[in-house]
This record gives sequence, C-alpha cells and structure tokens, in this order.
Amino acid sequence: WQTQGSPSDHLTIGHKVSTLGPDLTTQEFKQATKENMTNATFAVYEVLLPGVLGTSVEKNITLDRAARVELSCILNSKYTHLKNPQVTWKRGNETIGHFNKTENSWSIQLRILDHSKLGSYSCTLKGEEISAKFHLQVPTIEGKEKPIICYEGDTAVMICKSFGYTPIAWTWYRINGSEKILINETLLTEKYMIDRASANVTHLKILKLTSRDDGVYWCEAAFELGKSEGKVKLKVLSFMVPLKPFLAIVAEVVIFVTIVFLYEFYSKKKEKSAEEEKEFDQVEQLKSEESNGLDNSGARHRKI
Amino acid sequence: PPPANAGRAPGPPDGGWGWVVVLGAFVSIGFAYAFPKGLAIFFKEIQDFFGTSYSEIAWVSSIMLATTYGAGPISSILVNRYGSRPVVMFGGLLCGIGMVSASFCTSILQLYICVGFITGFGLALNLQPSVIIIGKYFLKRRPIANGLAMAGSPVMLCTLAPLNQFLFDNFGWRGSFLILGAILLNCCVAGALFRPIGAATASVKTQETEEGKDALKEEIAKDAMEMNRPTDVPMETEVEEEGGKDCCEKVNQYLDFSLFKHRGFLIYLIGNVLMFLGFFAPIVFLAPYAKHTGIDEYSSAFLLSILAIVDMFARPITGIIANSKWVRPRIQYFFSFSITFNGTCHLLCPLASGYTGLVIYSIFFGLAFGMVCAMLFETLMDLVGAARFTSAVGLVTIVECCTILLGPPIGGTLIDTFGDYKYMFIKCGAVMVLAGTFLFIMNYYNYRMLAKEEKERKAKEEDPKSVRTENEGRNNWNKENAQDGPELEPLSEERELKKEVNGT
Repeated sequence: WQTQGSPSDHLTIGHKVSTLGPDLTTQEFKQATKENMTNATFAVYEVLLPGVLGTSVEKNITLDRAARVELSCILNSKYTHLKNPQVTWKRGNETIGHFNKTENSWSIQLRILDHSKLGSYSCTLKGEEISAKFHLQVPTIEGKEKPIICYEGDTAVMICKSFGYTPIAWTWYRINGSEKILINETLLTEKYMIDRASANVTHLKILKLTSRDDGVYWCEAAFELGKSEGKVKLKVLSFMVPLKPFLAIVAEVVIFVTIVFLYEFYSKKKEKSAEEEKEFDQVEQLKSEESNGLDNSGARHRKI
Repeated sequence: PPPANAGRAPGPPDGGWGWVVVLGAFVSIGFAYAFPKGLAIFFKEIQDFFGTSYSEIAWVSSIMLATTYGAGPISSILVNRYGSRPVVMFGGLLCGIGMVSASFCTSILQLYICVGFITGFGLALNLQPSVIIIGKYFLKRRPIANGLAMAGSPVMLCTLAPLNQFLFDNFGWRGSFLILGAILLNCCVAGALFRPIGAATASVKTQETEEGKDALKEEIAKDAMEMNRPTDVPMETEVEEEGGKDCCEKVNQYLDFSLFKHRGFLIYLIGNVLMFLGFFAPIVFLAPYAKHTGIDEYSSAFLLSILAIVDMFARPITGIIANSKWVRPRIQYFFSFSITFNGTCHLLCPLASGYTGLVIYSIFFGLAFGMVCAMLFETLMDLVGAARFTSAVGLVTIVECCTILLGPPIGGTLIDTFGDYKYMFIKCGAVMVLAGTFLFIMNYYNYRMLAKEEKERKAKEEDPKSVRTENEGRNNWNKENAQDGPELEPLSEERELKKEVNGT
C-alpha cells in the first residue's frame, strides 16, 4: 500500500505545476492515518489547494486491489478571507453530490471495488479557478524502452516487471493491425515459453526466431481493479547484418599488417643495398690505398 | 674470426621507429586494460538472456582480469623465446577468436571460457610484450615512452564505452561480440609494428652462409651481450643439453626466478602488491557512492569520465616529468610520492561534500591514478634493467593478480558490513599511504646500497688484475647506464652468458 510523494511543510508549488505539465505529483500532502480493515485497506489522501489563480495540483494514487479511499482538499490559509468558499467535487464532468466538509477542507469517500471506479477526481474552488486532481490508477508495468535485438534461430527473452504490486496473472499478446493475438504457449510449446520468474516479473521466451517474430509485444498484468500493460519491442536480424562490418574490419586489419610488413621488407632491402654500396666503396678505397702503398689494416674490418 | 666491432654496444635507439612502436603499444595496452571494463555495458542484457544473477555475470570480468594478469609469466616465457612481435600478433588473433566464439555461446559457462579465458589470455599476450618492447627501444626517453603508451588505457576506455553502447543498440550483444572480435584483431596490426630490435636476426642469416656453426653461435652470443638480450634459445639448449646444464639455469633462461633474490625487485613486488589492494576499488565504487549520496545516474557516470580525461593527460605529462634530469635518477621517490598522493586523496574523499566535492576528488584521483600507472612499469624497468624486465613483469603480474582480484570484493564487503562507503575509502587510502611510505623508505635504502656497490665495483675495475678483456663491452654499457639510474644487475646475466659460451 504505497503513496507517492513525501510530506513537506512548504507552501504551494503552483507555478511549477503549470510549467511542468499535468503529470507532476504534488509535493504537499499530509500522510494520513491508515486503518487496515479486514478485507480492504483504507487511506486518506490530502492535498493543499494552491494559492495561485488558474493553477492545478495533481496527485497519482496507485491501487492494485479494492480499497476505501478518502480524498480531501484543504484550503490554503490565503483564502480564509473568503466568506463562503465553495468547493465542488467532480469526476470528469459528473459532479459528486455528497462530500464532507470541515472548517477548511472538503473530502469525499470512495469505495473502489472495480475498474469503473478508477479515474480522475477533482475538487475545484468556485470562482477562483483553482483545482486539485487525484488520479486513481492501476500500477504501471515496465517493459523495455529500447528494442531487444536478436538473431534468427536464436532465443529471445522478454521481461516485464511490476513494481511493488503483485499482479494476479500475466498474459502476453501481439497486435496485428487491430487484432489482438494472444500468445498461447500451450498451443505452441516449442515456440513460446511463459515463465513467472518471481511474483512481480514475467518472462516470455521465444525460441527459434524468424523474421516474422519481429515486432511489438505487449505484456498485460491483471489486477483486481483492472489491467495494465507494458511494451517490449523485438527486432530480429539476420546474421549477415553484423557480418558485414566484421569482414570490413578484418579486411582492414589484413591490409594494415601487409602494409607494415611490406614497408619493413622494402626498407631493409634499401638498407642492405646502401650497405653493399658502402662496402663496395670501401673495397675500392682499399684497392686504391694499397696501390698507393698505404698499409691500412684498420680498414680491413668489414661491417656486416 | 668474428669482426672486431663486437666491442661497442649500440644501445637502444630512443626514437625513430621507436615512436611507431609506442603507437603500437598504446593500442595494445589500451585494449588490454580498457576492454574488460568496457564489457560491463553488455552485462545487463546477458544477465536477462541467460537468467543468471549479477554476480555470475561479473565473474566474466573477473576471470578475464585474472587471466590477463595471471598469464603474465607465460607471456614472459614466450617473449623470451620468440620476441615481442609474434607473441602480440598471436595474442591479437586469440582475442579475436575468443570474442567471435563468444558471440555463438549458449551458456554462461561458455562465456566464461570464451570471453574470460581465451580473450583474457590473448590480452595477456598483448599487455606484457608491449611493455617489454618499450624497454628495448628506449632508454634515455623511456619514461616518456612509457607514459605515452600507458595513456592508451584511458583513451581506449573513453572510445570503447560509447562504441560498445552504439554496437549494443544496433546489433545486440551477439553481434557486438562478433564485431568486437574483429576490432580486437587490430592488436595484430599493433604487433606487426613491433619490429624486433637489434641486428641479431639479420646477422644470423648472412653469417650462416659464410661461416661455420660454432662461429655462428659465438656471434649470436656476442650480439646478444651487446644488445643485452638472452641468446637464441633453441641453439643454446642444444649445446647445453650436451653439456649437462643445471636445470635451475635452464628454467631461469625461460623465466628468471633468480629475480626473487634481487633486492630492488623484491621491494617493488611487496610495495606494489600492497598498493593494489586499494588501487582499483575506489574506481569500481565511485559511481555507486555518488548515487548513494543522492546524485543522479548520469552525473555519477560523468565523474568517471572526468577521471578518465584527467588520467589521459596525466600519464604523458608524468612521463615527461619523470624523464627530466632532476627526477629520473630519483624516479623511485617520485613513484612512492604518487602512490602516497593517491592514498591521501582516498582518505580525504569522505570529507567531500556534494557534487562539487566529488568532482574535485575525481580530478585529483584521475591525476594520481595517471601518475601511478604511467610509472608502474618504468620503475620496474629502472630497478631490474631491460634484459630481466621480460621475466620480471611476468612474475610481478601473477603475484599482483591475487591482490587486484581481492581489492574490490574486500571493499564491497566493508561497504555491506558497515553500510557506509567511507570505510572503504579509508581502507584504500590507508593501504596506499602505507605502500607509498614503504616504497619510499626501502628505495632510499636501495639507492644507498646501490651507490655503495657501484663504488666497490669501480674500485675493483681500477685493479689491473681484474678480467679486463671480458669487461670491454661491459664498461661501455656501464657508462651509458650510470647516469640513467641503477641498472647494474643486468651485468651479472651478461657474465653468466659469457661463461656458458666459453664453456662450450
């Protein structure tokens, strides 16, 4: 049973909400008391209505099973000057009739028993255009953002995780046009294997991949209050795809090695021929010196 | 009779083709160090694919690292026998084969073998010979050459990380491994650049045709002495077997275990083994520590990028500083200082507050890390000399292998036990400061002993009764080295070789 955000004593964050978009969870709420009932949990969520005109504060509440929830909006101390503040609770366009009112807070009590009760509930301060929204949702499922790349004939393992909440069941399916194709492992046991690695994690193993297995796969987690999906993309490549860069690099290596060895061979040849020339000159010199009658035994040593 | 030019030792070129060799070593060393780290990008996907836990996948990296360091002695033996070039080319080929076969793996065990052992072994055959050949090509400018070559590691890491991500997004892990196998074949190109140094091979060819076999052996022995390289082993062993050679000497021909009696080597070994206990853990845990203090994932990863970039520049600059005439004779002190500096950074890290503090820590850590790495092999070369370095590096890496593997897990255990990262930083910092201080003190003692031995040796040589004819070549080598640091040990090997040649 989790709530989001953290308690804080700061004032409103009105401006920030307007610039950052509607999904921002509020930073002000008071953690309420929890009462564990025998078959359902009960929690209170409070929100402080912002002090800036035309702004809205939002809060995401995740529920995975039936619960009793109390949502309440507390009026900011800025508005104590108003004589008769009016707050309306709405769900979509539908106004909720009965709510509890205390000195400066308005709250509604909801019994969330099934999917139909989930959604967005908002409280609006009349005349001032200030509101707060509570989004009651099923837990989100994490698939994978980047595609998984596998090769033909190989095995692919696709993983979906649920954080914090344990789904009742997992199912996998693919979408073909507008049709949902369920991945039935009992039908094709050699192709698919669905494994529940742990309470919150599911694995789909696809064996003997072909290019037809390429595409998007959806994992669906069923909770008491509804279903939630995660997406995993699979890309199946043929082995030729990495083979081309591989061969290119191998060719480059062979070329470089050949160049290095050829350069060495030729520079050695040049050295040798230069030395032979030198020797030749030395011999010539010796001959000329001998003929000149000079005994130069020191020059006799030959360098090899 | 062999020519009379055998008296003058030419010495390493210190330039020319040497810079091309540095480029090759840059690539080779870069792959050897950066590749295991770059693989981490694929782990999540492989983990999902095989359905294993994270620690089982992390073993792939550990096995690879262990093999790269543990196969050091084998690498040394092969280089002693065949020279750097064939070993590096074979290593590159092995890496390529390892990764290509890894792309077809169907179980995690096969990955351990293909990626861990085969590729790891190939990288080991890349790392050691690259470091060794720098010692053969450079003497006076060796620290610069070492610094530049070691800079390959951060550069390759910065290149491989986004490249791996790109390959993964486009080809999945199997295709990426295939292409990485091809990329690793570039180590063969690097190896092709490692032209064997010294005229020994050339003179063998020309002389075979002209003179007899005995004279040939003597020539090789003399050339080897001049170049300070062990002789062409196949010839020697034939002769020695006939002569009933001592088995210890034979083993020492392949891998010089007599190094364990070498004072400088032992100091280096103990100091480095201690240092590595705290060397790698901070890098492994920097990003998780940043996330732990509330920094978001991208900024945490960025800290490592800062570290790599600073490291990239720190290495060549350290090489240049280490080469200067003030530092080179006392390079061991500089090395001890950089280790202590590194340790101090870690000790101060827990005091860093907020993102700015961590950025400053990353900058200093990158600097210190680069300084230590640039001089890691240079100091060993300085202590044992280029000839014995081949065996030294192999022995050092296999002993370091244990502590390198233990470092991060011990750090991890500390973090898990206390729930706080600061104890890990304190442990790493303390260990490194201890190692740095130990090295500083012991090297001070070593320098003094070497100076004393040098004086004694000079006194003996003045004496006319000493074996002057043998020492002709040795004196020249001695004079060349005296100004560059204590490298008197290689001479004992020379004397050994002479004895063997004279004995046949």
